[in-house]
Amino acid sequence: MSRPGFVLEVDDRTPPLVVHEGEGFRLETFPRGTRVVYPPESLPGIRDADGAIRRALLEPTNSEPLPVLLTAGMRLTIAFDDISLPLPPMVKPDIRQRIIEQVLTMAAAAGVDDVEIISANALHRRLTAAELKDIVGERVFRSFFPQGALYNHDAEDPDGMLFIGETDRGEVVEINKRAAESDLLVYVNVNLVAMDGGHKSVPIGLAGYKSLRHHHNSQTMVNSRSFMDHTKSAMHHSAWRMGKLLADHLKIFTIETTLNNDVFPDSYGFLMKREWEWGVRDQASMLAARRGLAIAPKSVRHNLYQGMRAPYGLTGINAGETEAVHELTVAKVHQQQMVEVQGQSDVLVMGVPYVGPYNVNSTMNPILATCMGLGYYFNSYRGQPVVRKGGAVILYHPVEPDFNQLHHPSYVDFFEEVLSTSTDPAVIEAKFEQQYATDPWYIHLYRTSHAYHGVHPFYMWYWAAHAMDHVGDVVWVGADRKAVERMGFRAASSLQDALEMVSGTVGRSPSITYLHNPPHLIADVR
Amino acid sequence: MRLLERLDGRRVLLTGVTGFVGEALLQRMLTDLPGLVPVVLVRPKSGQPVADRVAGLLRKPTFAAARERVGGLDALLATVEVIEGDLAAVPALPTDLDVVVHCAGDVSFDPPIQDAFATNVDGTHALLTRVVEASVARGRPIHYVHVSTAYVGGRRRGSVPERSVEHDVDWRVERDAGRRMAHRVEDDSREPEVLSRLRREAEREHGRAGPITVAQDAERRRRTWVKDQQVAAGGERARSLGWTDAYTFTKAMGERIVEELTSGRSRDQPGAPALPVSIVRPSIIESALVSPHPGWIEGFKMAEPIILAYGRGEFPEFPAAPDSVVDIVPVDHVVNAIIAVCATDPEPGVPQYFHVSSGARNPLTFRRLYELVREHFEKHPFDLGERGAVALPTWRFPGSQRVERVLAQGETAHRLADRALGLAPRSERVREFSRDLDRTKTRLDSLRRYLELYRSYTQVELQFVDDRTLALHRALDPADLEPFGFDTAVVDWTEYIRDIHCPAATAPIRRYDVIRKRRAAAGEPRARRLEGDPAGVLAVFDMDGTLMSSNVIETYLWLRLPELDRADRLREIGALIRRVPSYVGAERRDRGGFLRSVYRRYVGADLHELDALVDEVVTPHVLERVSGAALRRVREHRAAGHHTVLLTGAVRPLARPLGPLFDHVVAAELAVDAHGRATGFLASPPLVGESRAAWLVRYAEVGGFDLSRSYGYADSHSDLPMLRAVGKPTAVSPDVALYRAARTARWPVETWATPSVTSRLRVPDVRHDTTGAALT
Repeated sequence: MSRPGFVLEVDDRTPPLVVHEGEGFRLETFPRGTRVVYPPESLPGIRDADGAIRRALLEPTNSEPLPVLLTAGMRLTIAFDDISLPLPPMVKPDIRQRIIEQVLTMAAAAGVDDVEIISANALHRRLTAAELKDIVGERVFRSFFPQGALYNHDAEDPDGMLFIGETDRGEVVEINKRAAESDLLVYVNVNLVAMDGGHKSVPIGLAGYKSLRHHHNSQTMVNSRSFMDHTKSAMHHSAWRMGKLLADHLKIFTIETTLNNDVFPDSYGFLMKREWEWGVRDQASMLAARRGLAIAPKSVRHNLYQGMRAPYGLTGINAGETEAVHELTVAKVHQQQMVEVQGQSDVLVMGVPYVGPYNVNSTMNPILATCMGLGYYFNSYRGQPVVRKGGAVILYHPVEPDFNQLHHPSYVDFFEEVLSTSTDPAVIEAKFEQQYATDPWYIHLYRTSHAYHGVHPFYMWYWAAHAMDHVGDVVWVGADRKAVERMGFRAASSLQDALEMVSGTVGRSPSITYLHNPPHLIADVR
Repeated sequence: MRLLERLDGRRVLLTGVTGFVGEALLQRMLTDLPGLVPVVLVRPKSGQPVADRVAGLLRKPTFAAARERVGGLDALLATVEVIEGDLAAVPALPTDLDVVVHCAGDVSFDPPIQDAFATNVDGTHALLTRVVEASVARGRPIHYVHVSTAYVGGRRRGSVPERSVEHDVDWRVERDAGRRMAHRVEDDSREPEVLSRLRREAEREHGRAGPITVAQDAERRRRTWVKDQQVAAGGERARSLGWTDAYTFTKAMGERIVEELTSGRSRDQPGAPALPVSIVRPSIIESALVSPHPGWIEGFKMAEPIILAYGRGEFPEFPAAPDSVVDIVPVDHVVNAIIAVCATDPEPGVPQYFHVSSGARNPLTFRRLYELVREHFEKHPFDLGERGAVALPTWRFPGSQRVERVLAQGETAHRLADRALGLAPRSERVREFSRDLDRTKTRLDSLRRYLELYRSYTQVELQFVDDRTLALHRALDPADLEPFGFDTAVVDWTEYIRDIHCPAATAPIRRYDVIRKRRAAAGEPRARRLEGDPAGVLAVFDMDGTLMSSNVIETYLWLRLPELDRADRLREIGALIRRVPSYVGAERRDRGGFLRSVYRRYVGADLHELDALVDEVVTPHVLERVSGAALRRVREHRAAGHHTVLLTGAVRPLARPLGPLFDHVVAAELAVDAHGRATGFLASPPLVGESRAAWLVRYAEVGGFDLSRSYGYADSHSDLPMLRAVGKPTAVSPDVALYRAARTARWPVETWATPSVTSRLRVPDVRHDTTGAALT
């Protein structure tokens, strides 16, 4: 049986602890009394995944079984979560492949021939053919891709989007036309964290800028306490309103999966263990990894990390009506990730790892690093933030000003033009968002190349809006000074220096909490 | 009797009042000798009437006292009679003149031979002819005062008496020979051998930019060559006859003309009367000791360039003998001496010689001068930016040979470094190195120039006897001794050099330094701002090297390799590598030819397939490598409403990825056969070098664009004509040659960095996508 998560209080016997920092990690000695939040150990994975999938499809929640919904001559669309999930990508076969294959088998049995498979990438970059193949598997890829029946969602295709209606709050609901005009839309989800899934799947994954701007904005983001708890998130409330409207127009069969915490391959197994329990083998592989990373050139380190595939275990699969399914999903995610934390602290310490949703096979640029640290990790709480209002956040990441121009062309300009003018989410939203969102070159690149939409860096910045609003000080350890300064933060060379720098805000002997993440955790702050 | 009385009512003609001594003389006369009537002979300058020139002169601060005395500028102008005329064509002079003072002359030490003769020989001759005419018309001889130089004696040693220089050189023969020589040099410069050599040199440097650029540079080189040859001819002839340079040589010839034409026995003017003549020979004239104010100086004279260069730490050593005498006189002593001479009435036909010099009775050695200058700079160093005071070199006077050797070594080292620079790949560091190298070159050149110029002066061991001048000084009315004295023995060198001359000579440089510092604080020329009316404005961009760090061979590989399997890839790369040396050679010689030879390899390629290949496989590679800053600039131009143009030597399919950013794309068109396959030839000549400029001019004409308000961005020397064609050019990550041109023209230089995360070695491949994942 896997052990639950817990909070360690650092004392004299505590060894140096692993802190992730981009494409590398360090062993940090924390001050005595620091609280370290460890996630629960991995839940055991379901042995017979295919059987579980089959059961879920045949015995769905609040819905008729899938075979009953499939009829000959119908229009069937399968949409799936894109490459931004899970993180890191999973070893093959991908869970989505297994599900899609079974759905297709049932559809074939029912005589359905009009089937299209869409990557629900919203304003994310188009996946390359190889990336699509990695997700759906060789067989599906070969049968659908050459015919053009397996493709990326294009939110800027004027003929490819359908206006569904407006919610009672005037929010525009517009999604992929093919999906909207289907007799059945099957959505295949990977629910890595509590934020995903539910009505965040279809109304967001298959939508465009016209819809997204209603919930992806600085106002909503500041008022989402937090994204990991959809009942308290203004963003999710908006998505839920849209989802309800959509459910009246379109039959959606939602399939949600949950994964355990096996995020590192075996050779990096030590990263998922508690440091004082490292055995000889763990010590050896830790040393080998540290020495190797220290001497490896940047590109080798990059390829090594980006090549990592996680041997996730499937902890649950639920299918049927979206909201009912999502309740079950969230419960499972909580079981895997939730840790109880007593009270807030003055300082929150987090290590930002090498990969986030938007730099799979790419580079984590400064904006993505900020989004990862202040957007996702900071918000990984339930109840109240781990750090008190006006406290300090200390992050670890090199924050090198490197950008992948193929994937993040608007990020480069956002960094140079927008952030040099202001770092206030509300200000840049008012001043620049419209311009970036409608820029013809970014739209051209989004549609034909593999670029994130022009507005995407704004969303990344909004994700961090709640943190920037809540805390007094943000200091990055080991970061590129100039890049960090451009974003309105400060850089320190060590944890000691960082604590020195924030002492003006939190005093000389602050209470410190370190989120030992990844693997994923949600701090349930009481 | 006081000078004021002796000169009262005398009409004195002055030449060269716009020069240093002439201005000082006029100033003194107008200020302190109100009874004297100055008449000035002034040369009209292009677009400026003579009256304006004189008014401009009298408006100067030094004439303030004079203006005050008569009550304003207009009143002062009324006291000066102005004659418009040139020494090349002297007009008839008024007949009521009493004295003519000739201070005009070519002060350059190394003028082309014909110029030296024109000013110092022909000019003197023409003026004297008119003086004789005026004397005849007046019926009374006019006193002619000739300002010469103490160095007319040439390269002799020992004491130089105040009398006619002994030599038997015929000035007529020398003048005619000099003119012929100048013509011959002009003719020689058009000889095929010379022209072809100059063209080859120009080609080596500008070949890539195109034939017109080469031709312009070759012609510039020819003119420089002509001038150098004419200067050398003058200097060499002077030295072969025993003079230091063309200046002293022609000055000596000028004195001989004076002696001849005023003797009453001139061949040119038979029957002309003998004239009273005084020849004043100052040595090295420097700033004023007392009047108009201590330290007054105009422009740079002989010693200033060396003093300034020393103060900047740029003169590591000097080829002089430490104990040799520098014969310096303050300008007010020279002026006073001339005024005293004007008041004399020498016997006609017997020239009187006066040395205004200091060496005989109050010698200043080089070593002492050096110490005083050093003392000045130790106390008041030049402020050259943030690096603090300059380290002043310590001169040890090792002798001219050693200095020469050090300089020659420096020049050789520079030449080698410069050649190495031509081969270096471009980078920020190489550009920085080239800038340092160019600075060294300027310094070496000025060292070389001064070394050549002053060589003979630093070696002379002359002592100018000034007994007659001293006698003239002593004959002054005791009351005039103080205001009009010119006994150089009273000069206290320590005070004069260290406290008066050095501060005065360095003042303009210090003022300029402040400006330069401000400019340096502002940095290199700023990136251009897109402002003004966007209508009719073009923004022209080069692609390879400017928008992205790629070259023609690289992009060729992007297009050709994707479809080949491993063995074919290796074969193709091998074939290319074998040809690299010949490509490099072709690239240096002629970019068009180079492109043609690379594009030959496209033979057999299907153009439609190439397009498809670019869209699917090459585009991500291009977008990954293109510089973010470059794209931003292109888009800024579009947003500003400019018409954007992409000019590239790459084949058209390669321009597809960036095509949507441009209103017009010009690329190389591959010729195709009936089946749509490339023949390996181009449909039209590649647009490189000057043809880009020509194309641009035509495009602007047809489209109604205004090139003078248009922008251009390019990286290579071959794009120079294109950049020159637009009004707002910018060099982007330029090669050394373009970098130099951009610095000279003060164009902004920008570095558009390409992303560091991509490897240049990765080549697109149909079997792998951009993430490197296998597709099959």
